Amino acid sequence: MTRRDFLATSAVVGLSASLSARETNGETKALEAAAPLIAAVQQHMFPEEGRLPSAKAMDTITFLKETITHASYDRDIRGFVIEGAQELEHRTKGKFLMMDAAQREAALRSYEETRYGSNWLTRIMTLTMEAIFSDPIYGSNIGQEGWKAVGSVGGVPRPKERYIAL
Amino acid sequence: MKHFDVVIVGSGASGGAVAYTLCRAGYKVAVLEKGRLIRREAFSKDELAYCRRDIVTPSLFDEYHLIEEKVGDQWVATPTYESGWSFWNGNIVGGSSNLMSGMLHRMHPDDFRLKSKYGEIEGANVVDWPITYTEMEPYYAMAESVIGISGVAQKHRFEPWRSTPDFPQPPTRENEVVKLFDKSCRALGITPLVTPRAVLSRDKEHRNACYYSNFCGSYGCSSGAKGSATEALLFPALSTGNLTLMSHTHVKYLKSSKEKVTSAVTVDTVTGETREITADIFVLAAQAHESVRLLLNSKNRHHPGGLSNSSGELGKNLLFSAGGSGQGELHRESLKEISFEALMERGLFVNRSILDWYYIDHWWDGRFKGGSVEFMFEHQNIISMACKNNEEGGKLIWGKALGERVAKRFKESKSIRFEIFNDWLPNDDCFVTVDEAHRDKYGMPVGKLRIAAHPHDLKVGSYLAGKCEAVLEEMGAKNIYSAISALPPQNLIAGGCRFGDDPGTSVLNRHCRSHDIPNLYVADASFMPTGGSVAYTWTIYANAFRVADHIVRDLSKM
Repeated sequence: MTRRDFLATSAVVGLSASLSARETNGETKALEAAAPLIAAVQQHMFPEEGRLPSAKAMDTITFLKETITHASYDRDIRGFVIEGAQELEHRTKGKFLMMDAAQREAALRSYEETRYGSNWLTRIMTLTMEAIFSDPIYGSNIGQEGWKAVGSVGGVPRPKERYIAL
Repeated sequence: MKHFDVVIVGSGASGGAVAYTLCRAGYKVAVLEKGRLIRREAFSKDELAYCRRDIVTPSLFDEYHLIEEKVGDQWVATPTYESGWSFWNGNIVGGSSNLMSGMLHRMHPDDFRLKSKYGEIEGANVVDWPITYTEMEPYYAMAESVIGISGVAQKHRFEPWRSTPDFPQPPTRENEVVKLFDKSCRALGITPLVTPRAVLSRDKEHRNACYYSNFCGSYGCSSGAKGSATEALLFPALSTGNLTLMSHTHVKYLKSSKEKVTSAVTVDTVTGETREITADIFVLAAQAHESVRLLLNSKNRHHPGGLSNSSGELGKNLLFSAGGSGQGELHRESLKEISFEALMERGLFVNRSILDWYYIDHWWDGRFKGGSVEFMFEHQNIISMACKNNEEGGKLIWGKALGERVAKRFKESKSIRFEIFNDWLPNDDCFVTVDEAHRDKYGMPVGKLRIAAHPHDLKVGSYLAGKCEAVLEEMGAKNIYSAISALPPQNLIAGGCRFGDDPGTSVLNRHCRSHDIPNLYVADASFMPTGGSVAYTWTIYANAFRVADHIVRDLSKM
């Protein structure tokens, strides 16, 4: 089994990061193109008026983009995040962004029926949770709203720089 | 490059302990550490960095292991860059001792003579140790004092005897949940014990007492309270002026003649520059599987099977810690004995363990070696706790339902968890070799770990899990579960360089010196023929102090 297959088909999540990933222009463009759809999926998962702050209010898409393009992030997972969005775009015939909440729910639950879709949605969920509940230094969890929502707070000392300069 | 009295490969618990003793005795020591130094002030409680990214371990694409497991009738080797299952632990100055929770126990005297006490187990290579607890005890006491282990001496039939009346520091502060825990244990006829902890409850020299950050295990300590090799051993060693601490220095292999090791061939992990470092004595302390790999990768015409491998035993009988874990939730509405607000107080420890089942001798259950159990709160990491509450029946929960569920989980309950430690029986299907076809970024063959647990380990673990679940039930916990697994915890590794009196069946002698090469020692947990049923760390510290005393005797004769 190749690693990409493993990511797409295994129930295991949380693979380790890698160094020396070669960022390509093509990948950057593909991520930018997929970002509105990924942001919409995040917003569907973390909507307004819930007990948790919304994805939009926490700017979780910026966190996601900065995280997966960081040199330390696993290049295979980066590819998987982009390709999984393209697959959702393909399954919904390019109309996901125009769908209402009920239609989006149906489309995502249908995608979740596939092992590939389920793993991709889990990855997006994890990246969004990481955004909302990580230290505000990473740009999301603005005003510690994520921590406040669950009545918790990160430990001290808080980080003074991201990933302490890997 | 100057010549040293002693070169130590690795700066973790064992390397730190050897350096501490030798530097204080006046010898010139170089500690070679492939990772970087993270100072106390730089250790933050950044969950993303420390617990969800690899900032203290190498990239698996650069450095990896092959893990060989049995699938059907076949042994299948998977590189860890494929699986993401890292076998690196804290590759920074001080090693993984920086990141431990510090819940420690001494091994029991009978753990040193397991074969004599319990006899053979079919399919397991159980042997007695060449030394007794009596020989190790002074060094357990030394570790207690130097590392700063807090606790309280308690009488218990499975508590090893001690030469000092009590611990140097009282226990760290405890959450009120211990009232409920202790009462529940007593109702079941179980004796709860306060866990000794390598965390200072009071200031000690340059280190400050614990400040109860709520985020201990997996993180470096920002007050120096945790008894890491960095704080407790390397900084005092540096203050002697005798220690040269070389970070970013990876040892590729050792050069040797037939009779002695002559140099360590190193690569600077930043510049790529190669150097040779010479010394009179070489001490390996790179963690069990990596010390074995280094010895195998140092093979030459005098030692074609690797250094210290005339017995053919090098790499064999690799050990992990068997057992597993479980937990249950204490809910606001059903909480007994204490207030919910007291339960939710942040940062305070549970500090409880049970040794009642260390040895089982029961008319119905039988007579066998059991294990120890630690109780603690579920780790308070916010991201991981939230992620554990986002699915049901294999489907993700999202939208408002997710918010309700996660907020309720954080605000209305707190989980108490247990970890079981029982012997990982040494066996013929658990060992380290190297694979010439797979090389790390420095061009050296990577370690290949064949891993299989003895079925007996699972029986013992399951037996203990049942006992622990009963404790949680008595406490009134909900949603109790446990998982006993044949998969190894990759942070608890020992064996591979057995010590023994017979050069034909062991790699090291009773002083952890190579049977084959008199100026080569291995000080980490690889010496252990059997692992006992407690976390290894206290024993690693103690044994390394013992080995260091012997090296001092060696050096004084030179």
